[in-house]
Amino acid sequence: MGDHAIEIQNLVKRFDKLTAVNDLNLNIKKGEIFGLLGPNGAGKSTTINMILGLIDPTSGRVLVNGIDMQKEPAKARNEMGIVTQETVVESELTAEQNLMIFGKLYHIPQSELKKDINFALDLADLTNFRHAYAGTFSGGMKRRLETAKSLMHAPKVLLLDEPTTGLDIQNRTKIWNLLRKINREQNITILLTTQYLEESDQLCNRIGIIDHGKLIALGTPSELRQKIGMSNIIEVSADKDDLQKVATIFKRAGLEPQVLTNKVTAPGGNNATEKIEKLIKAITANKIKISNISMHEPTIDDVFLKLTGSEVRDTEGDFRSARGNMMVGRR
Amino acid sequence: MSLLGDTSTLFLREMLIFKKNLRVNLIRSLIFPIIFILLLGSFGSTPKNVPIAVVNYDNGASALNFTNLLQSGSSVAIVSQTTQQEAATLLSEGKIAAIVVIPSGFSSGMDRNIYVYLDNSQPESSEVAASTVDSTAAQTGATAVASEVSGGGRSLVSVVSNYVYGASSNYLSFVVGGILVMVASFGAVFTSGFTLLSDRELGNLKAFLTTPINKFSILLSKIAYGTFQSILSAYIGLAIGLLYGATIAAGILGFLELIWIVFLVGLGFSALAIALAARMKQLQTYALVAQTLTLPLSFLAGAFVPVTLLPSFLQPVVAVNPLYYAVNAVRDIMIKGSLPISLLVSTTLILLSFTGVMIILAFFLFNKSSKEL
Repeated sequence: MGDHAIEIQNLVKRFDKLTAVNDLNLNIKKGEIFGLLGPNGAGKSTTINMILGLIDPTSGRVLVNGIDMQKEPAKARNEMGIVTQETVVESELTAEQNLMIFGKLYHIPQSELKKDINFALDLADLTNFRHAYAGTFSGGMKRRLETAKSLMHAPKVLLLDEPTTGLDIQNRTKIWNLLRKINREQNITILLTTQYLEESDQLCNRIGIIDHGKLIALGTPSELRQKIGMSNIIEVSADKDDLQKVATIFKRAGLEPQVLTNKVTAPGGNNATEKIEKLIKAITANKIKISNISMHEPTIDDVFLKLTGSEVRDTEGDFRSARGNMMVGRR
Repeated sequence: MSLLGDTSTLFLREMLIFKKNLRVNLIRSLIFPIIFILLLGSFGSTPKNVPIAVVNYDNGASALNFTNLLQSGSSVAIVSQTTQQEAATLLSEGKIAAIVVIPSGFSSGMDRNIYVYLDNSQPESSEVAASTVDSTAAQTGATAVASEVSGGGRSLVSVVSNYVYGASSNYLSFVVGGILVMVASFGAVFTSGFTLLSDRELGNLKAFLTTPINKFSILLSKIAYGTFQSILSAYIGLAIGLLYGATIAAGILGFLELIWIVFLVGLGFSALAIALAARMKQLQTYALVAQTLTLPLSFLAGAFVPVTLLPSFLQPVVAVNPLYYAVNAVRDIMIKGSLPISLLVSTTLILLSFTGVMIILAFFLFNKSSKEL
């Protein structure tokens, strides 16, 4: 069925009055690493849950490798490996038992199960921890086990919901390398969501940004950067009360400022260096105290900012976020 | 693929977790029945050598024979043969549990009544005294007239005695039977529902739902695990109860029937637990609902107090309470000595249909909730 690992067609999800996903169309090409970005409450989680077949769309459909998730959920799920937001390894099972149970749930035949478990342990770099309880693992080890677990049944598509949230740089890099490796060596298509924009910049072939339930940008990281002009970004950090004054100065210098929680930023245009000089003069003339002024190359953060008008939204309001925030001891 | 295959995989997972926490799980299975049997069972342990006083107005051979017979067992001990007035003092001081009065015409046959004054404030002891006098009277062809003395015996008030259980019944067996059923239902409700909710909170449930399994296998595995855990507790409870002195009047066959009934209770209440937990999100809510439901159900089943003593407005609740039928069957087996086959079949059918209804309800609710997330 063509070149697409995942096809999202006219997807709509309404909860009572709220439209979380509003006629979303998106195709993930086979073999790519695709990053889905969006501020909290943009409809990202809802979209992911519909791709996973956990909730039914109001209308529209999701195809995984050409198989309709609604009509043949079991078959569609077999095509897909999933790493959810909450790291779900079972603390009270060993690494091997974790893999064994999931292998069985994916109906891997008994004869192949042992081989697949060994493969997964090797991939996760956990062969030496085969008989250790997953509860004793570090965050990074758990995430690797989880990722390897989701690949045991040889899926064509791997879906990761914020795979590196809460991990330190070292572990994050390990996960990135793991993802690149499986993408390259096993030709597995990867769809991931992330809060870390530089992550998508480094890892993804293409990025889609959704806001208010719609796709508002789609392209390679460099295409998206071009969208806001290749110019450098000027950034001034100052006291909260002074930000509006700084913004006025930006405007007088012919810039289009955006006021954030503790800084004002704007694309610098062609003669960014001259503009910085102007800004510094005006700021000193107005006796505004600033803590930093800088210029940098545009990042996906800047693209995101320009398109959605916000940083990764700081308000807690992810609609029906399924993330359990209470850890309860089991038994 | 197959519902049963997926269920057994998920059950295997529960058992691996159970094995990992084996010690905690076993202790938990032990504590509940032990506490209840020791606590409630002690009330009913039959006291021995209950002190009584005999007031003998008759000095004939029959009266002597009667007192000798009275003492022949180890149930009562005659601590004093004295006047009625002194005996009344001893009774009020709590030194004796009963006064046995042999009237003056006893040996001559003019008055074959034996008068017994029982201290109501010591129910277990006075009950033993009363039943001993009863049986002794029966052996000698006399009639025992029981009077209960309330409030420590200051006034001798005659009360028609109303024994809940026949004189030969074993209170411990009565209590153990009730505890078995209660432990089975509690164990079920506090295992399967809790693990379903903790799986939901920890995200395990979501992970299972994204695999190609039949999602009802999740529920069935929880019911199987709840049944396993609850009958484990109940069987341990039965063993403790038997060691402690409870008996199964119906013998080996009764033992097997008992195991069957307890299994059905565990199964039914695991299904109930899953139906309750199918749409719930919070453990606290579940714990609250589960407690407020199961404890009254045990009481309304006659687990501790015969249902005939319950007020009439509660009787309809008793009639629809599946635990009531289980408790009834267990009592028949342990105390009456036989469970009619028709009753075994009807109890089985009642508990199985209860299970069936709960499973259907659980499937329905779970199907809805998993689509809403």
